Amino acid sequence: MERKIGVYVCECGPNIAEKVDIDKVVGAVSSLDGVVVVEKYKLLCSADGKKFLEEEIKKHGITHLVIAACSPKQHEKTFMEVCENAGINPYLYQLANIREQCAWITEDKDEATKKAIRLIKAAIGRVKYHSSLEKKEIECNPAVLIIGGGVAGINASLELASPDRKIYLVEKTSSLGGMITNFEKTYPSMQPSSHILKQKILDMDKNENIQVFIDSNVEEIIGFFGNFEIKVKKKEVDEPAEFEVGAVMLATGSNFFDLKKTPQYGYEKFDNIFTALEFEKMNLSGEISLKNGKTPRSVAIIHCVGRDEKGYCSEICCMYSLKFIRYLKDKIPDAQVSNFYSDLCIPGKSYQKFYEQTKGKNVDFIRSTNVEVTKKENKLSIKYIDENGNKNSLLVDMVILAPAIEPTSDVSELAEIAGISQGDGGFFAEEHEKLNPVSTSTDGVYIVGCAQGPKNISDTIVQSGAAAGKILASLIPGKKMEIEVKTSHISESFCIGCKVCISVCSYGAITFDEAKKISVVNEVICRGCGNCVAACPSGAATSKHFTFKQIHQELLEAVK
Amino acid sequence: MNEKESYSDVLVIGAGIAGIEASLLLSNSGRKVHLVEKTSYTGGTVIKFEEVFSNMECSTCMVAPIQQELLQDKNINLVMLAEIEDVKGSFGNFTVKIRKKARYVDLQNCIGCNACFEPCPVSLKNEFEEGLGERKAIYVPCAGALPNVPMIDTEHCLRFNGKECKACQEACMFEAIDFNQKDEQLELKVGAIIAATGFNIFDTKKTPNYGYGKIDDVYNAFEFERLYSSNGPTEGNILLKNGKPPKSAAIIHCVGRDQEGYCSSVCCMYSLKFNHYLKSKIPEIVISEFYTDLCIPGKSHQKFYEKMKETGTDIIRFKEIEIEKQGKGMSVKYNNGKKKNSLPVDMVILAPAIEPREDAPKLAKALGISLDEYGFFKEEHPDVSSVTTSKPGVFIAGCVQGPKNIQNSVSQANAAVGKILSLFN
Repeated sequence: MERKIGVYVCECGPNIAEKVDIDKVVGAVSSLDGVVVVEKYKLLCSADGKKFLEEEIKKHGITHLVIAACSPKQHEKTFMEVCENAGINPYLYQLANIREQCAWITEDKDEATKKAIRLIKAAIGRVKYHSSLEKKEIECNPAVLIIGGGVAGINASLELASPDRKIYLVEKTSSLGGMITNFEKTYPSMQPSSHILKQKILDMDKNENIQVFIDSNVEEIIGFFGNFEIKVKKKEVDEPAEFEVGAVMLATGSNFFDLKKTPQYGYEKFDNIFTALEFEKMNLSGEISLKNGKTPRSVAIIHCVGRDEKGYCSEICCMYSLKFIRYLKDKIPDAQVSNFYSDLCIPGKSYQKFYEQTKGKNVDFIRSTNVEVTKKENKLSIKYIDENGNKNSLLVDMVILAPAIEPTSDVSELAEIAGISQGDGGFFAEEHEKLNPVSTSTDGVYIVGCAQGPKNISDTIVQSGAAAGKILASLIPGKKMEIEVKTSHISESFCIGCKVCISVCSYGAITFDEAKKISVVNEVICRGCGNCVAACPSGAATSKHFTFKQIHQELLEAVK
Repeated sequence: MNEKESYSDVLVIGAGIAGIEASLLLSNSGRKVHLVEKTSYTGGTVIKFEEVFSNMECSTCMVAPIQQELLQDKNINLVMLAEIEDVKGSFGNFTVKIRKKARYVDLQNCIGCNACFEPCPVSLKNEFEEGLGERKAIYVPCAGALPNVPMIDTEHCLRFNGKECKACQEACMFEAIDFNQKDEQLELKVGAIIAATGFNIFDTKKTPNYGYGKIDDVYNAFEFERLYSSNGPTEGNILLKNGKPPKSAAIIHCVGRDQEGYCSSVCCMYSLKFNHYLKSKIPEIVISEFYTDLCIPGKSHQKFYEKMKETGTDIIRFKEIEIEKQGKGMSVKYNNGKKKNSLPVDMVILAPAIEPREDAPKLAKALGISLDEYGFFKEEHPDVSSVTTSKPGVFIAGCVQGPKNIQNSVSQANAAVGKILSLFN
């Protein structure tokens, strides 16, 4: 097909025209090979300008379009729409930025004019080698797999389930509810935690759009956003259940730090030293007592256990330690409770008040370091260095340790199955710390709650709602999903099967065809980042719309 | 839902990071969104920052792409310079009255060349720059503001004060300046509302012991953010009033915590960020961080703190603190629990508490929701449901509900959208 290139230079009022000799530019590119028309225009992005362009494209039978104007950030899409309206493929167009990268930054008019000519020549050189690219859409399955039947998984299930969206919830233990089922009350309201869960678990049972697998683990997740194939294995059942979903949510919670790693606290060496979880369970059972059945008169709560080892603050330990004081005071009003802490971390609007109301008679807060627990006669002795640097000690009946939150023991296995990575602290890594905390580098796989990092119940529920929001907004029943157009492609004949591309692909978009011994790009997953193109030693990987030929011609004209 | 007609459009109030994220997600789902913003620009407070913790990512680079996406999104009707006057109705069927001030600059015609600024004869302190820079009566708040379209400040524009000036109109090559625009009353029908109107910082004049407003070179956090910003009044040069770079600085945490009665959750982290700001511009500077309790929760924040410690910063826990003028400079007098000390410094940066916006009561009243005891919008349940309110169909996201970082603001925005899409198909 004969190429007919049209070049349109925008004056942008005085913005470009004052600094660039537009007539000279028009003259300089008019006679180039393939160029059939070069025109200047006062303001191409205006309504009149767009109409003008559309008519010009039709009138001259333009097949390839070059616009010399502002930054693509500003108006790339504007002119792509013009192309579509005029009946040419929007990828057969190139925008040369002669405003931000030329007129606005080059003082000398001659220099600016020369630069503008080069930029336009480069765009013409490139656009000749552009190919038509078509928008692609895929069918998708609106169903969702949620791994983990704690408060996050339950909340997300109920928010997502509908007659046209089935939810599969996979829980590895034998019941729903997760960590919260161990708590008598939640802070700061100090209402029974059953208030949060009981009704929701009943709602789960009644909801026929939710299928719950207990005692089960996810064995396999293959596919991509919109179309994942899942295998779930139930304990003591041979055949795994298989089904398809469009999205996956990991709400697998967290573990507590292993206290064997901090022997100085005497855990499992002396009686009456409990972990936070053990204390929650004891309190839930209705009676706080010592090993010998007696009621403790004095209790020490040690904060920040394992913080140094983990290298982060677990966010919730100060607050739940304060809650423990409330538990103790409810059941043993005259108990002496001493808190050993380093920094009190009670962020947010309602926690300080909770702290103020927890302070009071027989409640001490001791800022301390080097805390150690030993046995002295039939009591436990807390040795510590106080904030003035003095050595001190205190005898108590009971010790409660507040250990750090850490990833679950199967976090690496799950990350591999789901095709996502682990980040800070070993928790699942989010796509972007600020803007995308519940998404991952794998489209359609979401992480929520303590699986993403330590957090309280409220923030856990917010995250599960956030992931539900993302799924509801993008995986719509009956609606096809648009996928990236500018993807990578690996040439069958050039590929030498070295697999370098697979190792650099952040999205898991490349697989290896064992029969042909070559790498293959899954265009549904590929986001066109170009990592594989840069890494490929044999030139087999190319990026659509950024081919070697296109870039080479563009550079050639720019530096000629 | 009742038998009355129900509307699927959503009203989002506030075009900060939470409002933008909520609007884009709703639009992605196919909903039409009306995004009402009080100022003439989008991006809210986050665009005041040069960098964000803990990755020290450039804030503009993070936000500008989503601002652009917002401006080009055909499902989103962005109504700027506008405030909510009245809300009637219930979930599925709200009628919202909005008062929209005239911008006097046409959004379509203006190309953002800024040619109108220079001839404007009026010079004023720029509020966006915390008064540290100047602006004209026709202005954008800062370079790179989006949309890059100025507004006319009619309170100070000569033309709107009985004079015959049309300097800006004459300078405009695009016939974008239209003195005949009028304020408008809009009425919208929407099914649900998300309020994401953000926060203020505590007025440090209320704590005179810090010397703010009395002693030179005592800055609050927002002022310091602008001093460090490359698009700010000093183009990112951190300088004292005398034009010299500071040789020493004190960063004071927890300013206003006692007065407000809560920990604002982000101040320790951004104070550590300020430490990084100072060190990156003035490597030899001596910095002291004064704090009470270090609150750096979450998996990614402590490593940032560890890195900061390596720079040799003095980290001092204080019980009492006061900034006093001393000769030409000043000194920090503090009590660390053991003894009283005094430390001369060139510059002091205060990290004030986050507090509700002054117009929060008015908006809450219009929306028919309540405020909590601190004046933030009250959530339905503090343990479990922080984005729903006592009124069905009215959701809250970001610092309007309470102090929080960007990550949690964005999560709340997404969660509010989830509720709307789930409850209201």
